[in-house]
Amino acid sequence: KDKSAASKDSTPEGASKRQEDGAETPKQQLLDIIGSMKVEVSYRKKLQQLKASERKKQALNKLEGPDSEGSVPQGATEDTQRGKPLNPKLVKAASAVASSLPRNKEQTESELLAQLRRHEETTDKQKKGGTVNIRDVISEMTIKRQTPAQRSVRISRRISLQLDEDGQRIRPERSSAQFVDSRRSLKVGKRLNIFTKASAEPEDSLKTVSSPTIWDLEFAKEVAAVTAQPPRNGFEEMIQWTKEGILWEFPIDNEVGMEDDAEFHEHIFLEKHLEGFPKEGPIRHFMELVICGLSKNPYLSVKQKAEHIEWFQKYFEEKKELLQEI
Amino acid sequence: AAAALCWALRAARQVLPSPCPRQVRSYYVDWRMLRDVKRRKVAFEHADERLRINALRKNSILPRELQEVADKEIAALPRDSCPVRIRNRCVVTSRPRGVKRRWRLSRIVLRHFADHAQMSGVQRAMW
Repeated sequence: KDKSAASKDSTPEGASKRQEDGAETPKQQLLDIIGSMKVEVSYRKKLQQLKASERKKQALNKLEGPDSEGSVPQGATEDTQRGKPLNPKLVKAASAVASSLPRNKEQTESELLAQLRRHEETTDKQKKGGTVNIRDVISEMTIKRQTPAQRSVRISRRISLQLDEDGQRIRPERSSAQFVDSRRSLKVGKRLNIFTKASAEPEDSLKTVSSPTIWDLEFAKEVAAVTAQPPRNGFEEMIQWTKEGILWEFPIDNEVGMEDDAEFHEHIFLEKHLEGFPKEGPIRHFMELVICGLSKNPYLSVKQKAEHIEWFQKYFEEKKELLQEI
Repeated sequence: AAAALCWALRAARQVLPSPCPRQVRSYYVDWRMLRDVKRRKVAFEHADERLRINALRKNSILPRELQEVADKEIAALPRDSCPVRIRNRCVVTSRPRGVKRRWRLSRIVLRHFADHAQMSGVQRAMW
């Protein structure tokens, strides 16, 4: 019975929301159509129950008052007399829905309006920040009862599962139970409004990053110093050492730090560096020997070899006077 | 036991204050070690020059006058720049003799660490 009441509350809620949105987007219209279809199916059961309660009331009214139809205008006056009038759109929608349903139209309309009013009251309460009465919340919730079919399934699962650990045994049951209980789905029921939906704010426009000030750097250093906890075990110590550069990275790369992008011909054919030297004479002979030796050296980079040759060039230019005397 | 006595000697050495979280050895074992360190640094700086000037000197193609000039130049370099003055001392005790090159340790220290299983892959020989 509680479940039916809860579901009853949700659908007029949905109905009101739908009618408010109106024909905003085609998607909304589709949703409306689908939603309206839902209402027709489920509302009949609720209406039956409602009618049962209403008939009782009407019987009481008959006993008290002469008119049976008077209940409706009474209800209408009550509606108007209440402090907060309902949205006329909602009223119209309620009348439309009542007219679409086959049963007693006036009765359904009054019931719908009552539902809407209740919904409005709750929303007002929430807007004002009304505290969530835990008793109400708990009263809405029902005890989960196993159906005999489900019970048998669970027993069979228990028997089949190995007795490794208690936790492992219980877990698959829980996960399956959530999905198996289709009667009690997650989305049905009165909204408890305990959690507030986090508003998805659009990302702030990228702030122009000014050059990091000294204070920012100091703060960053402080944070790093505080967060750098001493290593808890040998692995963390090794990680720290690797970051600092004390420990090599494994698997060992023999060519770490040796980024020689030059091709082999740049190492071997070094004659283009010899353009500054005289073409004849002992110096040329000497430099050719130097180049021969450098080309056979695999340990130097091209830059280092070029530096050697440049040094010799400078040296001989300085000693030109001396050389001309000879 | 003998090594422990040697380690008692500590010489003062100024170390620039650096933001280093771990413990840093702020002293060299003794002054001789300090001097050796200095020599190594200077030799590294002048290594290339020495190589080139020696290349000029030690060949039979260039005229002798040039080679004599080169001789004078290399003599003018600082004395500590020659690699011959470097002595491979023990890193822990600064012992000049009995130092194994692979570990840079003197024989006594090496034995001490190996016996305490602090040298990876080093075992007492037995055959």
